[in-house]
Amino acid sequence: MAELSTSATRPFDAIAAGEPIISFRDVHKSFGDKHILRGITLDFLRGETTVVIGPSGTGKSVCMKLIVGLLVPEKGDVWVAGTNVAEAHERDLMSVRRRIGMMFQDGALFDSMSVGDNIAFPLQRHTKLSDAEIRDQVAHALEQVGLPGIEDSAPSALSGGMRKRVSLARAVITKPEIVMFDEPNSGLDPLTSDEIDGLIGRMKEDLGITFIVISHDIVGTFAVADRIAMLYNGHLIAQGTPDAVLHSDQPTLRSFLARNMDLPPLPGDPR
Amino acid sequence: MSAVLNGVRKVGAYTYFAGACMRSAFTHGVPWDRVVSESYKVGVRSFPVLFTMALFVGSNLAIQGYAAFSTLGAGSLVGMFVALAGVREVCPLLAATMVAAKAGTEMAAQLAVMRTKEQIDAIEVMAIDPRSELVVPSIIAVMITLPALTVFTIFVSLVSAMAVAVLQLGVDQGEFLSFLVGYLSAYDLFAATLKSVVFGAIIATVSGYFGFYSERGARGVGEATNRAVVTMCIVIITLNFALTSLLYG
Repeated sequence: MAELSTSATRPFDAIAAGEPIISFRDVHKSFGDKHILRGITLDFLRGETTVVIGPSGTGKSVCMKLIVGLLVPEKGDVWVAGTNVAEAHERDLMSVRRRIGMMFQDGALFDSMSVGDNIAFPLQRHTKLSDAEIRDQVAHALEQVGLPGIEDSAPSALSGGMRKRVSLARAVITKPEIVMFDEPNSGLDPLTSDEIDGLIGRMKEDLGITFIVISHDIVGTFAVADRIAMLYNGHLIAQGTPDAVLHSDQPTLRSFLARNMDLPPLPGDPR
Repeated sequence: MSAVLNGVRKVGAYTYFAGACMRSAFTHGVPWDRVVSESYKVGVRSFPVLFTMALFVGSNLAIQGYAAFSTLGAGSLVGMFVALAGVREVCPLLAATMVAAKAGTEMAAQLAVMRTKEQIDAIEVMAIDPRSELVVPSIIAVMITLPALTVFTIFVSLVSAMAVAVLQLGVDQGEFLSFLVGYLSAYDLFAATLKSVVFGAIIATVSGYFGFYSERGARGVGEATNRAVVTMCIVIITLNFALTSLLYG
């Protein structure tokens, strides 16, 4: 049994700012013979922005999918505010998901709906708000992400950066306690990338919620992070404040931050 | 041996999927707005192609029936032939295969693209059951619209058969109608409708299953669509034999 001394075993209301709201305990996940996560133990603190970095294929997105129960670990526990999502009943899993918003890498906007309908969708399914109230909330969410008045546009007519912003508006429309971003800067030019980072920072100040960002963009990471965790070859090799990470002497982390693609192997790990 | 086991595993997975869809309809409710839009898509958009097919299937049934019976000096029996072959067998199959080819493949492809673009994951993360949101409305829509389309196909093919028999082949209209009505009963319409309800459930669940569990990427979308249409056709034709045996055997 993994060590459970974490506040993430308590419900949302009983977790104070700065305490773990999500905890991974000795989490293993494989796909076929590929062992993606090899015993991850990691905490995400309430009210803080944690950025998970690492090269492609190290299991960053897998961590995110484990948090919302889209994937189930072979071993270990994933606690999200009182629920072990690895073993949760469907009803409890749904309850956890209602408190989490997620911005997908390519937006995952529904092509068959307009931008406004995309953002309104979770409100229509989960609340009894009137159409007028939903329209107001959608307009406000679009203003928050800097895209006022595009409710009637089709997702296919939007640029990559706009799609990500609309996806963010949809993720926060239900006022979740945790918002996750899967590669918010991927495929964007540097200026748009900076805009997205700025937006994440502003939303964190405005909403005061817990953000988890998956990224391999080093500049963006230091722009938004309160804490940074680095995954490599399925292991958590470093975690701490941006300052601590920046001054870490862990060789793999230093190579990654220096954009050296030839990362040194971990002791005892196959490359 | 492994192919048999694989087949059994897939049938089990499909059965689980169909059961999960039924369960989610009860536990998560049915988004009726989507049922309406899906019914429109399946029903109205299949209308023109089904009309054309029914028109020419009816006319060809009349020609073939007349050719067979006229050698026995009983060309007017074409009305009976159209009633038996058309209403009992050809029209339910025609409507089902057309809806499978048009609406079924569209459903499978749409779900597969949604899987590829993480839109199904997005729905799950919103704490919404994607089966109840995406598949259940299609199941209900096809089960409602396919019987209506089948009745429409029967009507068009009978009118077309009569037109060809009377105007082109010279069969007496009264005799044609008398044999048609004499051999066609309410039970035949009930059986055709029952068949189409079953076929509708198969079309929606099979296309839903292959689309929902497709591999990601363009290849996954293509494979899902292809497997869906092949499986639907095989299952429909096999079930048609079983249903005919049950209803008329």
